[in-house]
Amino acid sequence: MALNGQPRVELAASDREVVIEVEELTKTFGPVPVLNGIDLKIRRSEVVCIIGPSGSGKSTLLRCLAFLDPYTGGRVSIEGQLLGYKQQGERRLMQGHRELAKVRRNVGMVFQHFNLWPHMTALENVALALRVTRKLKADQAEREAREALSKVGLGDKAGNYPSQLSGGQQQRVAIARALAMKPHVILFDEPTSALDPELVGEVLGVMRQLAVEGMTMAIVTHEMGFAAQMADTVVFMDRGVILEQGSPDEIFKNPRNDRLKQFLDTWRTRSF
Amino acid sequence: MEFLHIAWAYKEMLLVGAATTAVISGASILLGMPLGLAFAFGLVSHNRPIRLFCAVYRSFWRGTPLLVQILLVFYLLPSIGLDLSPVTAAVLALILNTSAFQAEIFRGGLSAVPKGQVEAAQMLGIAPITIRRRIVIPQLLRLVTPAITNEFISILKNSSIISVISVTELLRTGQQIVSATYRPLEVYGLIAIIYIVMNLVIAQLGRRAEARLARGARA
Repeated sequence: MALNGQPRVELAASDREVVIEVEELTKTFGPVPVLNGIDLKIRRSEVVCIIGPSGSGKSTLLRCLAFLDPYTGGRVSIEGQLLGYKQQGERRLMQGHRELAKVRRNVGMVFQHFNLWPHMTALENVALALRVTRKLKADQAEREAREALSKVGLGDKAGNYPSQLSGGQQQRVAIARALAMKPHVILFDEPTSALDPELVGEVLGVMRQLAVEGMTMAIVTHEMGFAAQMADTVVFMDRGVILEQGSPDEIFKNPRNDRLKQFLDTWRTRSF
Repeated sequence: MEFLHIAWAYKEMLLVGAATTAVISGASILLGMPLGLAFAFGLVSHNRPIRLFCAVYRSFWRGTPLLVQILLVFYLLPSIGLDLSPVTAAVLALILNTSAFQAEIFRGGLSAVPKGQVEAAQMLGIAPITIRRRIVIPQLLRLVTPAITNEFISILKNSSIISVISVTELLRTGQQIVSATYRPLEVYGLIAIIYIVMNLVIAQLGRRAEARLARGARA
């Protein structure tokens, strides 16, 4: 992505450290295969947008990167640590919640439906994990929570309950909540899909700002404009596999895969 | 006028009887609540034996008549060497009974707390016990307040059954007054009115609790 015509990060992309590494990932829901061998590297400060038709497995992939859906085969590593499983001889056992929390410590997640806790104010939503996970004192947690809310432009809404906020504001609180944990990477699962069209912009604006500041992000999205403008890498998925991946120019201007062409045609027709 | 005359003449007995009913029911509901909550989490546990145990417990206490349960507790426990006063046996039976019904109420409430809220908390590294305490249970209490109020009213009425093991609660007080006055109609009418008044108070408390817990509520 370019800022004033300058590349955002001077380092060649391929030299940057890998934050999330996905190797031969498979996932089945019972007998139904959903992911059929995914390989993907997400590097420091990279913005990866995952696009594809409904049911292509893109949300499942993202949830596997967070181990909210346990993957069936292959591996996901977060900064070199195996996510979700521990190897015991031949067998692979599920990690306990403490081990899992440790590997996931630097992974933030933003959901389609915000998933704020409705009985807590915006400030309490952001501050809770600062208290109980980062073990900050109450005043320090409140200070950092207020900072995070200001960062997403909601410094004046700290005392509001989620029901008193618009969808766009709720999603920004959810971003602040993830941000306050100082994650190394944030996963966004269709962050604007549940929003009224006029509220999409404010959320994308916050995400744009994070990208400019160098946050590593993996974003499942239907916002092709955002992907074209902000992504370093666009990944096109269909039927549980990655069919094409490349720079926004390669994907949007010069697609090679037929199904990607078809997908982009459908999208272009629909947006007129 | 006979009615008011009896009420006035036996006011102390009636007050003690009503207070006994209120205390026994209140204690049963409150002590049955943590137990019911624990069984609710047991009913949705990933651990099969725990789930099974809780389901059997729930089905037994929900599926047998309260009168049978009270008699069982009253006669069974002394036979295994536990000497209980009638009041203790009564409260114990009511606790065990209401915990099964409350477990079902809480279980229903649990499924109404969106799973995504728990996932968000997990992603923030919040421990399972803290997720329950800070996120699930506070919302649960709001969701189940109307049903718990109902259960409180049921228990208050059903507590009249413990008169069979000679606990002098409100109904048994009435029976004693009848045997002294030979005025069953007036006395039982009076008893009914006292039950209604107590239940109206409970219903009112329930509505207040609901309003209080609703602040901020709804996503």
